[in-house]
Amino acid sequence: MAEMTYLEAISDALRTEMRRDESVFCLGEDIGAFGGAFKVTDGFAEEFGADRVLDTPLAENAIVGAATGAAIEGMRPVCEMQFADFIACGFDQLVNVAAKLHYRQGVAVPMVVRLPSGGGFSGGPFHSQNPEAWFLQAPGLKVLTPATAGDAKGLLASAIRDPNPVCFLEHKGLYRHVRGEVPEGEYTVPIGEARVAREGLEMTVIAYGSSVHLALEAAEQLDEDIEVIDLRTLCPLDSEAILSSARKTGKVLIAHEATRACGAGAEVAGLIGEEAFEDLDAPVRRLTTPDVPIPFSPPLEHAVLPQLEDMKEACRELLAY
Amino acid sequence: MSSSPTDASIVAVSMPQMGISVAEGTILEWRKRPGDWVEADETICDVSTDKVDVEIPSPASGRLERILVEPGETVSVGTPLAEVDTAAAPGEAHPEESPEAHRAEPPEVDRSRFYSPVVRRVAEEHGIDLEQVEGTGVGGRVRKVDLMHFLENGAAKKERGEPEVREERPLHTESPYQGEPQPAASAEDLIGPTRRERMSPMREQIARHMLDSRRNSAHCTTIVEVDFSRVADQRQDLRETMARRGVNLTYLAFVAREAVAALERHPVLNASLDGEEIVYHDQVNLGIAVALENGLIVPVIRQAERLSLEGLAAAIGDLATRAREKRLHPDEVQGGTFTITNPGQFGAVLATPIINQPQVAILDLEAIVKRAVVVERDGDEAIAIRPMSYLCMSWDHRALDGAEAARFLAEMRTGLEEGGSA
Repeated sequence: MAEMTYLEAISDALRTEMRRDESVFCLGEDIGAFGGAFKVTDGFAEEFGADRVLDTPLAENAIVGAATGAAIEGMRPVCEMQFADFIACGFDQLVNVAAKLHYRQGVAVPMVVRLPSGGGFSGGPFHSQNPEAWFLQAPGLKVLTPATAGDAKGLLASAIRDPNPVCFLEHKGLYRHVRGEVPEGEYTVPIGEARVAREGLEMTVIAYGSSVHLALEAAEQLDEDIEVIDLRTLCPLDSEAILSSARKTGKVLIAHEATRACGAGAEVAGLIGEEAFEDLDAPVRRLTTPDVPIPFSPPLEHAVLPQLEDMKEACRELLAY
Repeated sequence: MSSSPTDASIVAVSMPQMGISVAEGTILEWRKRPGDWVEADETICDVSTDKVDVEIPSPASGRLERILVEPGETVSVGTPLAEVDTAAAPGEAHPEESPEAHRAEPPEVDRSRFYSPVVRRVAEEHGIDLEQVEGTGVGGRVRKVDLMHFLENGAAKKERGEPEVREERPLHTESPYQGEPQPAASAEDLIGPTRRERMSPMREQIARHMLDSRRNSAHCTTIVEVDFSRVADQRQDLRETMARRGVNLTYLAFVAREAVAALERHPVLNASLDGEEIVYHDQVNLGIAVALENGLIVPVIRQAERLSLEGLAAAIGDLATRAREKRLHPDEVQGGTFTITNPGQFGAVLATPIINQPQVAILDLEAIVKRAVVVERDGDEAIAIRPMSYLCMSWDHRALDGAEAARFLAEMRTGLEEGGSA
């Protein structure tokens, strides 16, 4: 075990997998000589050479398209979007080509798209989004959203080894603020399994990414019997873990930093409504960013993103219901 | 934006004084909601008193500003029920529709009767009456934890005293979709789909009065058979004349007239029981039972002994009409000393009515039907077809005995068959 940041854990997973498997390579904007905008691939060019740490043009469709082609040919590319927001430019290659190739032609597309996402640092509307729900509507893609350093490493390794195209959302706010014990060497976390981050009986907060930390902090401060489920994977969704906790507590708050409408929370709420209706003791509630672009202005951004106080208030309301 | 109402422009709608005997009323339904425009004298709500249901008119034209008493609440006479803003203009936005109003804290709603899915399911599995469980949630809601505490305290586990046939399932983790148990068929299962409805205030009152009467009086029913040939002839003769004067001459009027006459000769039947005393009444205040769509009401003809056949027929017609239109005055449905009911108009031929307390007797006119009967004239007997009916009278054996009741009915029969009072 070694203590490292969420960011270091991602680097560690990439490095370990590249050492383990020669078909794994990285491509993206400024990831080679510069080491990436957030320094995830710092030192990679020196260790693995420019052929496996490719600096690409500013052309996301080309990055995803090239990765898709390489994956068809048996490579395991890991492409980095400098910001998750930029995947919009590579959307066609991702959702129409990579996601559907196995369905159309029985061809495996073992690739990973790393997506630094999330706000809270005054990045404005193009550098702060949480676009995970976009991919949930494209069957054929897997969507991972780790919240801890250990899961960041384990899930990225699993994503690289998975035969499907995987969207790997890394919350930028967690990069250097979240630290944790991370197993050394090869380490994987199974895709599609949620984690009980805190056990409780009175209510459940179902969260992922940065919201998991808000939920845990709120539960501690309120000192209430709150269960926190860290989804870790949004697709495939761990419906068993969701329903089991919903049935146990009967009260569910779903929290994410992504915007509200048709977000992952809506899907989870729908599942609970369909399958656990008779065990509900309260309406299923959501704590999300409202359906607005993320403002550049720090006070406005603070007002828009779910804060600890919002989480505590939402928990209090549901506990009292 | 609307002009905000001033004190001077607000007119209160109060629970009106509906006769000397009415002290309170229950709101049945609001016909208008806040923000609605109302004209003066337009019905604004329905109120039920222990006597009658009445429509409450708006005292002024304006906008219904606020409702102060919710349906189901009982308040005393004079209590403000609502406020009407007379300064408002039709079509104007109501203050509640302004953005400020939306920001106001919503009042806490009573949600003690709302049960969440899990609470319903667990209560059903354990046969628990949820009304027994104290709710600590928002608005008094019964939360799952409240139910669990209730269960743990074992208060109602075997409330119904039935042997537990179903295996208890764990409350926390089991899904209702696993291992459906086969419950033994209960009477409720066999009865098929049902619908439950709260009794109307009138229905509740009838239920209470009838049970009280059954409990308190020594009911006994005496029946005589009456040949209505003469009455039918007489009715035929008088009918048109009276119809021209706007009076519908019914068989009931003849029976009422004979009853009033007989009551004057048998004062114990025009009486009430008050503890150990029999209270004899000088006046005959004749109650006439009127069937309504969803109940029954008994308006009273005061001093019926002063009325002719035509006067009685007119009074019966007037009361029945106004009863069905809910226009009776509360004072008109009390003070009766004897009651006549007439299920015969719906085809019934025999009944044992329940006495209208605190009176001691109730007379029941049944359907007049043609029957073959033995008639005697000048010593010869023959079978004839005659319009016949039964007079059934329930009386209180505490106040009188069978002979008195039989004599009373026999006199009525003689009067109806041979002509007496009318």
